[in-house]
Amino acid sequence: MLIEFDQAVVATPHSQALKGVSLTLAQRRIGVVGPNGAGKSTLAKLLNGLVLPTTGRVLVDGLDTRRDLKAVRRRVGFVFQNPENQIVYPIVREDLAFGLKPLGLPAAECARRIGARLDELGVGHLADRASHTLSGGECQLVALASVLVMEPALVVFDEPTTQLDLRNRNRVARAIGALDRPAVVVSHDLDLLGDFDRVLVVVDGRIAADDAPGPALRWYREHCA
Amino acid sequence: MMIEPLYIDGHGPLHRVPAAPKLALLVVAGLVLFAVRDPRWLGLAAALAALLVWSTGVGAAALWRQLRGLIWVLAAIGVFTLVFQGWLAAAAVLLRIAALVGLALAVTLSTRSSALIAVCEQALRPLQRLDLLDAGKVALALALALRFVPEIWRHYQEIREAQAARGLARHPLALVVPLVVRTLKRAEQVAQAIDARS
Repeated sequence: MLIEFDQAVVATPHSQALKGVSLTLAQRRIGVVGPNGAGKSTLAKLLNGLVLPTTGRVLVDGLDTRRDLKAVRRRVGFVFQNPENQIVYPIVREDLAFGLKPLGLPAAECARRIGARLDELGVGHLADRASHTLSGGECQLVALASVLVMEPALVVFDEPTTQLDLRNRNRVARAIGALDRPAVVVSHDLDLLGDFDRVLVVVDGRIAADDAPGPALRWYREHCA
Repeated sequence: MMIEPLYIDGHGPLHRVPAAPKLALLVVAGLVLFAVRDPRWLGLAAALAALLVWSTGVGAAALWRQLRGLIWVLAAIGVFTLVFQGWLAAAAVLLRIAALVGLALAVTLSTRSSALIAVCEQALRPLQRLDLLDAGKVALALALALRFVPEIWRHYQEIREAQAARGLARHPLALVVPLVVRTLKRAEQVAQAIDARS
């Protein structure tokens, strides 16, 4: 998995969320930290084309997010900060099936994949639950399952533990740790990023620090606290 | 108050019938009930509907929660018809509505929402072939409505609580404005999440 940002600028009529970012991302676990409104979520959303660069390019395995949007979305899964918004069907099992629909798989294969993914994350017992009755932690794990069931090559998390209690935060952290594919994690939960391969610090729309977690997080604590 | 899913897991005779014929029969029954005017036949239909509801294995408490809102509407219609058209017409109207609601309830109690949505999607396919609509999108809209009605109700309660905590009296505008703003914001995020998975 190789992601390249080539002078990517994201501008709104009033401001610039990202001011010309050039990066190459190839590590298995990459963390993104930074103050509120610094452009972290925008950076994350560039990865699967939810936000397109105003100027410059973002390439995912050589695919341009602007030109090859469909192929990029297939490759890059996205777990949102508020998982409740991500679960769109009334029943958990149906929600996972929704993502698989465009793939046109046989019903039995769909059911097998859905069961396997939910079991893997320890939420197999929730398959027939009504989505609006899930707790915060259950919701986040189901949202992750709904992304993983589509077998993306990379998973992007936008503040996955922000709304969780300690126990559920640990469950989600373990699930991210055990993930068998690369992940980019935007987070204010610095402990979550401690054993990552690389951490980017985003300040005011620019990459202010880019290093191993130790030095990068130290820089962040010294300059942004 | 909690809005619960209607479907009841069970093995009654209605559970074994696929969703499509059940919905088709419900449509036919609705048309026939409006053509019938004799209260005796309507009474029979209402009794049959009650029997079908009972056969789904629904508990009395759950049934009461579903129906208690309807009692007042029925009472108002009943009194109105009684005054203007006499007791025979009132009986016919009430029995007709009871039969219709009973039959519809029997279908929703014994059919998963996903199966109902799938039938709608199938039924709309001919219109899609005529390029009039996208059946998949209509199905998604139905699913989203089922999914988010309880959430919007919860938002309403949260806003009401937050205002009560500040000592504000119940004011319709003060409730509706934040609810609409919140729902629209939410809709944007949900749309983005759907985009991310498509």
